[in-house]
Amino acid sequence: MSTRPTILPAAIRMGEMAVAQSGGVLRTLLGSCVGIALYDRRRRVGGLAHVVLPESRGKTETPAKFVDTAIPALVEAMQALSEEPLRLSARIAGGAQMFKTSVARRIGDQNVDASEALLRTMRIPIVGRHCGGSKGRRMTLDLATGVVRVEIVGCEGVEI
Amino acid sequence: MNDLPLAEAQLLALEAVLRAGAAEASHALSNWIGKPTEITSDAVQQLSLHDSTSVLGEGDEPICFCIVELAGVLGGCMILAFDDASGLVLADLLLDQPRGTASEWGDMETSAALETTNIVCCAYLNAISRAFPHREASDPEMVPSPPQFSRDYASSLVEFALMGQAAASDHVLLAQTQFQIDGEPVDWTLLLVPDAESMTTLRDVFSSETDLA
Repeated sequence: MSTRPTILPAAIRMGEMAVAQSGGVLRTLLGSCVGIALYDRRRRVGGLAHVVLPESRGKTETPAKFVDTAIPALVEAMQALSEEPLRLSARIAGGAQMFKTSVARRIGDQNVDASEALLRTMRIPIVGRHCGGSKGRRMTLDLATGVVRVEIVGCEGVEI
Repeated sequence: MNDLPLAEAQLLALEAVLRAGAAEASHALSNWIGKPTEITSDAVQQLSLHDSTSVLGEGDEPICFCIVELAGVLGGCMILAFDDASGLVLADLLLDQPRGTASEWGDMETSAALETTNIVCCAYLNAISRAFPHREASDPEMVPSPPQFSRDYASSLVEFALMGQAAASDHVLLAQTQFQIDGEPVDWTLLLVPDAESMTTLRDVFSSETDLA
């Protein structure tokens, strides 16, 4: 088990993504949004997107906001860091319904479903998943190891 | 759709309504805790989606909050947020015990936070409802849900609350207030977060208002 990262860089915010190689930690805080972490273990190239909604419906200004534009954009940005084709695996987290009566309750599930469907279509295996429930999550991707850790307030963090 | 939710004149009109809400909530909270209280309505903010989730702080430390969901003419939610120490001050005030006596979130402390949220939000909404321009008796009321208490990451909370607006725009609108009790600032924040449908209502209502001005 890897040690918990002690240096926390600026979080990836709603509708943003980041990619990097070899070192450091990417992190984001999630409610009903979904964090999608992609990683190539050989090249140690990783990326993390904080997606808000399942479908872009033609909007192109904020690709990381939508599942259907974020995943291809993340793959493209990661591939730009490597001269050889990447072999990616995915871990996803988030999609919580934080309050019982919220109108946003369905969006979390839709984000998770859309992410899983597109990753399947793109033949990127999902090797870890921590979704649903009623609590927010802190998701971190360690770029040196590919370990993705999910923390919930009041609970032990877990690796997925 | 406009990228910014409201125009400048609409924002000013909305801020006037929210000031009325803050004044009534101040009075209700003073009566409830038995101390002079002032709730100040800050400017209404229109933020990019990226920047919005840090309104309750940049850090990863969890915060406590009570949320009331709104239905009717104004949908969305109101959130009373506070750090542990500031929230526990409530229980000390209500139980008339020295500050620092309450040290963890038990039933009594949670109940104090929930009831305070209920009182503040209802007073705020009553005033907003009366101050809302061009209201007819047949218009739908503002209906608050019972408050819910939780402890979570601030960014996760704000993200979830803003999801309705985020679905419609890359910019979001929220209103923030600050509190003073007995002349001392306390680290409580009240957020009003309209949903996407209410943004259309606010644009329509305050367009008429500003057209008349």
